[in-house]
Amino acid sequence: MSKVLVLAGIAWRNVLAHRVKSAIVGSLLAFGSFLVVTGKTIVDSIEAAMAESITASLAGDIQVYDKNAKDQLALFSFGAGGEDIGEITDFPKLRDALTALPQVKAVVPLGSVNTVVFGRTELDDTLDKLRAANRAGLLEERDQLFAQVLAISAQLQQDQKAAFTIAADKVQAQIDLDGLTRVQTVEFASQFTSDPEGTLDWIDRAIAPLASDGKMMYLRLLGTDMPAFSKDFSRFRIVDGQNIPEGKRGFLIAKYAYERFVKNKVARELDNMKEKRDDDGLTFATDKALHDQAGRCARQYARILFMLSPKDAAELKPLLQAELGVSPASAAPDDQNLGKLLVSFLSVDDTNFDARYVWFYTHIAPRVRLYDVGIGEMMSLRAYTKTGYMRSVNVKVWGTFEFVGLESSQLAGVYNLADLVTFRQLYGKMTESQVAELDGVRKAAAVKEVTRESAEDDLFGGGADALVTESTTTRAFDEFAGVDMTAASRAAADLDDRVYTTADMENGVVLNAAVILHEGASIPEAQRAIEAASLAAGAPVNALDWQTASGIVGQLLLVIKGVLLVAILVIFLVALFIINNSMMMATLERTAEIGTMRAIGAQRREVLALVLLETLVLATVASGLGAMVSVGMLAWLGEVGIRAPSAQMTFIFGGPRLYPAWSMLNVSLGVGSVSIISLFSTFYPAMMAASVQPVVAMNPKE
Amino acid sequence: MTPNEFKIFRAKLRTFSLGALTAMALGLATVTPTPALAAPSTDELVQMLRVVDDRQENNGDFKSLVYLEQKESGKADLVYQVAVYRRDLDDKLVMLFLMPKEQAGQGYLRVDNNLFFYDPSVGKWERRTERERIGGTDSNRQDFDQSRLHEEYRPTFVAEEKLGSYTVNHLLLTATTEADVAYPVVHLWVDKATGNVLKRQDLALSGKLMRTSLYPKWEKVYSQTKQADVYYAREIRIFDEIEKGNQTTIVIQSLDLSALDDSIFTKAWLESKSR
Repeated sequence: MSKVLVLAGIAWRNVLAHRVKSAIVGSLLAFGSFLVVTGKTIVDSIEAAMAESITASLAGDIQVYDKNAKDQLALFSFGAGGEDIGEITDFPKLRDALTALPQVKAVVPLGSVNTVVFGRTELDDTLDKLRAANRAGLLEERDQLFAQVLAISAQLQQDQKAAFTIAADKVQAQIDLDGLTRVQTVEFASQFTSDPEGTLDWIDRAIAPLASDGKMMYLRLLGTDMPAFSKDFSRFRIVDGQNIPEGKRGFLIAKYAYERFVKNKVARELDNMKEKRDDDGLTFATDKALHDQAGRCARQYARILFMLSPKDAAELKPLLQAELGVSPASAAPDDQNLGKLLVSFLSVDDTNFDARYVWFYTHIAPRVRLYDVGIGEMMSLRAYTKTGYMRSVNVKVWGTFEFVGLESSQLAGVYNLADLVTFRQLYGKMTESQVAELDGVRKAAAVKEVTRESAEDDLFGGGADALVTESTTTRAFDEFAGVDMTAASRAAADLDDRVYTTADMENGVVLNAAVILHEGASIPEAQRAIEAASLAAGAPVNALDWQTASGIVGQLLLVIKGVLLVAILVIFLVALFIINNSMMMATLERTAEIGTMRAIGAQRREVLALVLLETLVLATVASGLGAMVSVGMLAWLGEVGIRAPSAQMTFIFGGPRLYPAWSMLNVSLGVGSVSIISLFSTFYPAMMAASVQPVVAMNPKE
Repeated sequence: MTPNEFKIFRAKLRTFSLGALTAMALGLATVTPTPALAAPSTDELVQMLRVVDDRQENNGDFKSLVYLEQKESGKADLVYQVAVYRRDLDDKLVMLFLMPKEQAGQGYLRVDNNLFFYDPSVGKWERRTERERIGGTDSNRQDFDQSRLHEEYRPTFVAEEKLGSYTVNHLLLTATTEADVAYPVVHLWVDKATGNVLKRQDLALSGKLMRTSLYPKWEKVYSQTKQADVYYAREIRIFDEIEKGNQTTIVIQSLDLSALDDSIFTKAWLESKSR
């Protein structure tokens, strides 16, 4: 023991005696240790945060789907969502089999489908309301809406005049302009009074197409058992409105999507500019993109103007004039034009943005429809079903939701929630009678099959005589004979009227299910148990852990781990080389000293131990220092958090900030790995030193 | 040209003898066996298109029962039965889906230059574009509507070619600036003997081939209102050139040239059919 202490003392003395070498090698070892401890801690923290993000919001601990599926389930695929993950046709049987397992806490049925919502222009909406008011005999409302149509047409007329000179088709441009001029005449108003429906049809055909196109919204729908989903996913919370009541159909829009896709475009632009100014510190003066965005926002003024009723427009005009410092009595045409006043108001810069943002929400927002679909309103969702047919449903929007901590995450907002009946309507699995109906139609047509490659030979190889024949199909016919024309509208009415039982919701196709495990249960063990239990129950499924099931997002963690590993390996390789090199040099420099030690009785193994101890002492001290710095930094970051560099990263960070937590395990890993690498790289120089003969000490230096 | 002037112009065109036009076009085809000898002038080509259009036009009404099928590789076939109502004189078109019953009541209404779509499941109308894929197939509105090639496109002559056992004139058509069409560039193969279109290729503005349509079966029926034969393609095969393997077939199963009620070409009529 005393020999070891003596050797350690000599080793420490040698470390101090070669300060420059020790400082260089020590710095490298300290950095390696710092990197291992910091990197490993941050990766562990990200993994834990991501696990929480994904498991507590959508995925559960394990996702299950059809064992015979063509594709692998990927919840966050970034693709079109067109993967074929098969179907779970008997969910209650699967759920019963899985909940019987000791590890399983809950099983939540899921099924996703991509939907599209066809947006409408303000003019289309106003015309619809006007038609409804006219049919209901609400004359006062009808006249107000007609006045709004006239106001929109007047603005379109101005736009059309401005665009006339650059119109490619001047004839059509003149026809459009004439139509818009006609709308402003007294005769047109009289025509509306005498023939409202005919006049509205004409506006629909001749004027409405001149307004800009309605936008389309793409919303990914996740059908689920809402009571179970709300209970089992702890991060889920309602933001606006309410949850879908039990037994009812309905839709919950992700708050992220609601604010970014459903909200009025001007309001969205203003919100987005505010975020960039407040969160990212950008200014209109220095950031060109933000400056251009302000210009775009002003050009969208019609999205406000067209929604104002004549009464609201009349109220808003003097308020805007006051806000902009324009005299109400000004003779300048632009000062009296509400559209121009709105453009001026929306032309924001660094000096007026904050005030105008507040003004917008105080005076303008209450007068317009801020969201294309309001909470409590019906929304028409459309999807191309599994079988390729287009299917639409009306569904009530009960509210918006978000996942706590992931409010600004696009990924967390990628899904919108609905009941399972609505999902099944849009998913469109065919019944046997539907398949039989299609077969009947197909057989009656008796169309010969041809392929693209042989089509021209098959269809045109017969000779000119057969090309034109006397009609064989001309006859009077009743196209409605034997046709059920009202099935779709009957089914839609039935969907709306019914109250659904748990069995209604559960019995039917689902595509996958989230399995939530009891605290502390092992995921790999549970995966194996689930696959075995489902097989035994006759409903075989694949069970994926949350990381695999989350698709490309889950793989991101592997990428981060890979990058860290490569960085550590590079550092270690460099350290290996430098330590090896410097110890070789040191051994050569100390040949006489080692020879002397050998001459006075030091054994080979003692020389070997001395050199290794020198490295071990240096490695322990240096890596310990590196680990201490890392722990200090991590402790500080654990308090203040690391801010997610972008909204997308909040999903990876499990919230707006990542709070890393250091552990003794990671510290030991850092110090231990650095020490082992150091010893390994010193072994050859140490062997070289141990082989020095005593006689070498007596040789004169060359 | 204002719409009224345009209508008058079209009405005057209709007074032309169809026979004379056909003779002119067929004569043209006969005397121009190859482009190397004498390529037809632009006026002559426009006349050729006018013949193609006029042979298919009925100045009365046109009702047909259509079988529409879409085949896609790896997927089940889409199959529909559709009633198509045309009033060529007013450029009106209604397409009403009859089968399958889940889709029954859906329909398109074309009035002036508007194409509206109605879905009884949601009770709403939507404005659609000329590029609308009818029922999710590769067909579009023009495949069911009156042919207006001479109004919508400017032709140039490519060559005289063989298509199977038929001799055809190959034309290149470019959309006029005012035309609202699904495809801006079209290659057309017109049978020299009959003046019927046998093949059509639709291209994007970039020149990319989007789809190829073949018209293997033409039938004619005498129209009392036109006092002449009306020609129609009984079968159209459309091949998707982007998604290879996808193809659409349109077959006219029944045809009736009797007068249709004015109310058919309205939103209210289409809505009423599914209530």
